[in-house]
Amino acid sequence: MLFFNMAWRNVWRNRRRSLLTVMAISLGLGFNIFMRAIGDGFHEQMVDNSVRSHIGHLEVHRAGYHDDPGINKTLPNPEEIGRAIQSLPDLRGYSLRVLGDGLASTAENSAGVAIVGIDPTMERKVTTINRGIVRGEYLREGEVRPILIGERLAVNLKAGLGDKVVLLVQAADGSMGANLFRVVGIFRSGAPELDSGMAFILRQDAQELFSLQNRVTEATILLNSSRAVPASQQDLQSKLAGKGVEVLTWYQVEPFLLQFIQLDDAFFYIIVIFFFVVISIGILNTIMMSVFERVREFGVMMALGTKPRQIIKLVVEEAFVLALVGALIGSAIGISASLYFATEGMNLSSWAEGAAALGMTSTMVYTRLTAANVVISNLSVLAVVVLVGLYPAMHASRLRPVEAIRHV
Amino acid sequence: MALVELDNVTKTYMNHVSVHALRGVTLSLQPGSFAAVAGPSGSGKTTLLNVVGALDQPDAGSVRIGGVDLTTTPPDQLADFRLRHIGFVFQAYNLLPVLTALENLEFIPALQGESKEKRIRRAEELLRTVGLSDIRDKRPNELSGGQQQRVAVLRAILTEPEVVLADEPTANLDSTNASLLLDMMEELNREKRITFLFSTHDPLVMERARRLIRLRDGEVVSDENRDGSAAGVKP
Amino acid sequence: MKFHSTCARACSVLAILLAAATAWPQQKPDAHSLVRKTDQALRGKTQHGKASMTVRTPDWTRTLEMEYWSINPDKAFILITSPAKEEGTSTLRLGTNMWNYLPQVERVVKIPPSLMLQSWMGSDFTNDDLVKESSLVNDYTHELVGETEEAGDPCWRVVAHPKPDAPVVWGKLVLLIRKSDALPRKEEYYDEKGRLQKSLSFDDFRRLGDRNYPMRWNMVSVTKPGHETTLLYHSLEFDRTIPGRVFTQQNMKRQF
Repeated sequence: MLFFNMAWRNVWRNRRRSLLTVMAISLGLGFNIFMRAIGDGFHEQMVDNSVRSHIGHLEVHRAGYHDDPGINKTLPNPEEIGRAIQSLPDLRGYSLRVLGDGLASTAENSAGVAIVGIDPTMERKVTTINRGIVRGEYLREGEVRPILIGERLAVNLKAGLGDKVVLLVQAADGSMGANLFRVVGIFRSGAPELDSGMAFILRQDAQELFSLQNRVTEATILLNSSRAVPASQQDLQSKLAGKGVEVLTWYQVEPFLLQFIQLDDAFFYIIVIFFFVVISIGILNTIMMSVFERVREFGVMMALGTKPRQIIKLVVEEAFVLALVGALIGSAIGISASLYFATEGMNLSSWAEGAAALGMTSTMVYTRLTAANVVISNLSVLAVVVLVGLYPAMHASRLRPVEAIRHV
Repeated sequence: MALVELDNVTKTYMNHVSVHALRGVTLSLQPGSFAAVAGPSGSGKTTLLNVVGALDQPDAGSVRIGGVDLTTTPPDQLADFRLRHIGFVFQAYNLLPVLTALENLEFIPALQGESKEKRIRRAEELLRTVGLSDIRDKRPNELSGGQQQRVAVLRAILTEPEVVLADEPTANLDSTNASLLLDMMEELNREKRITFLFSTHDPLVMERARRLIRLRDGEVVSDENRDGSAAGVKP
Repeated sequence: MKFHSTCARACSVLAILLAAATAWPQQKPDAHSLVRKTDQALRGKTQHGKASMTVRTPDWTRTLEMEYWSINPDKAFILITSPAKEEGTSTLRLGTNMWNYLPQVERVVKIPPSLMLQSWMGSDFTNDDLVKESSLVNDYTHELVGETEEAGDPCWRVVAHPKPDAPVVWGKLVLLIRKSDALPRKEEYYDEKGRLQKSLSFDDFRRLGDRNYPMRWNMVSVTKPGHETTLLYHSLEFDRTIPGRVFTQQNMKRQF
């Protein structure tokens, strides 16, 4: 305790210098926590957007569908799969869909589309396409062949509300399926591939178009939280083992998204490392100076019998004091900023174009503060500062008492 | 048996200011001595104290303290040797500035691993015996030079080392304070039988030392014993 | 005289040798002309005929009956006559544009360029295969690489590489062309990495008026195992005048 008191008091001998160092540490740490919270929030929103615009947290297909999709690869025994899905503890909703490719055309133009046959009541619980309707309305059961198309597709086809769109497909039996649909709604998801290439129709219309009787292509599942994804995937896989189906997570369906997040994280860590290097240089300077000022003092301590190891400990403890005070203040800054923008959100409208390309529908980013963020950020700062303190500490411990005592 | 024995010790220091050297110094010190090494600057008295104090090892010859040969002690064990067997009083800047007088006294017992309770009790008792209890919580910069040196002496003797080495302890003191300091050291020497070895060119110290060894150019030129006991100079 | 006759004999031997030497390369035809001849033999100036197309996949097998008209190289009209679901469906090609008429919805649908590589009517022929009939002659450079025998027919082996800026997806084509009448025996389609994608073989050669013709075309997909399309000609007429109104969207709709 005597030694820790010494360390503490030594730090505050040069109050202004130490306060500046503490400020650098706390701003660096606060910034680090806050940036991480922005990143976590942004990534969560991206995943959520993607998950909720189309893919869901989990998808169940006939085994092999994802690698090589085909209209004939329908789900064996959808009722049984439905029961297994309903038994998931974290289930928020699921939707049974028909997926197929086809040609959408109007008198004006034609375009290849991904056709999604949905049950509007089920689909509403899973995806948010219904919230992205910019004109008209969502599909309703009982209408005669309604179709909901993306905004860009509507422009390409020159199709407005009430216009007729022909869907031409190759059906499951190899025949050509064609039918006339009427545009009831136009949506904007923010994701270009959805807005320019996706059309939603009623599931039974899709089954007729593709000659599927009552077969479906996939079950799309939304969970209460993305954190429940791995456990739910395992749960469902074990329940459906041997049934000839595949259960895929959003990041297996859309690996690009996960790769983007990982890349973004990598960039974040490069910036963090850069910050740490800058802060480390500042701390190194502070501690080096305080060691050089006290050469005679170290000489006396060593003459009295203080061992080099104990000198190292003292100097490292001084660095630790700086880091600890900086970490406390920095955490307070980082946590409060992160909590504030978690509810208030940050408007990133100037990045909106880039954000839209990443599947963002809103220009507001809400920070998300995790315990891991706070703990890891703090531990890294403490570790870095202590490591940085080690160099001047070694220097001090190698002083020769005879010379150090006479040092001016 | 002598407490400190130097046999033909040779040591040369060179720095950019001067050459300090010992040239074949041989002497011994009995327990309970109150001895001073005197000589002009550059005569080798500080070097002698460094060698005796296990701060440095001689180039040649041998140094024995309490029977332990310091020339064969591994350098990394010298710190521990100093901690357990030797007390130091320096010319100035003795005390650790961030510690109070009491804490400065605690420093060595703390290094020795003594419990907080015990070392505080010892330190307080010592301060009380010398009548310095009122400065126990003062930091060195709140103390006069005389008070600082007295606390430094107390720190050196608190753990009762075999020998206390005092390198020009009165150099920065006026004669009143120097006398007070010498009074205290004499008393400790008498009461506790603690051996003192000074380096000095202060006449006051030379006067009160019971043995005076004079050095010049790294060699002992005289060794004067004032209390009748045997001087350690070999013929 | 003696000398003269010896010389004459020698000269005549030399002449025969020379003649033989020059005659040899003449037996080996120019690849480009050969392919042009193949194209003409296969298509004529106009065509009108009936055929059936059987598509086999691991999931299903079905047969379409059709009637078709073409003015080569750039106009074609195909009408599906069976089965009932597709009866009346027709495809019109004018140059590089293509339309389908869908009787179920009474609509003409234009095939966008992005879907030209999609399957035509579920078969292993792409829309592109129908449109790019003449491209074999114009979009490729040809090289005669050897001779071979395919199912008993001596054939030339021709490799066709796409010209640098030709709008072609294949890396190369290998053609086996019958020496006897320049009709194709086999066409192999390779991608740009040199992997075989599909192969079209021609069989059942019959005499039709002034020419021979392969009545059975069989396309086997390598990339999609189990996928195979067989085209069987029932009747075929060449070089009859076909009225231009056949190749109109009005004609597509009038069929029903």
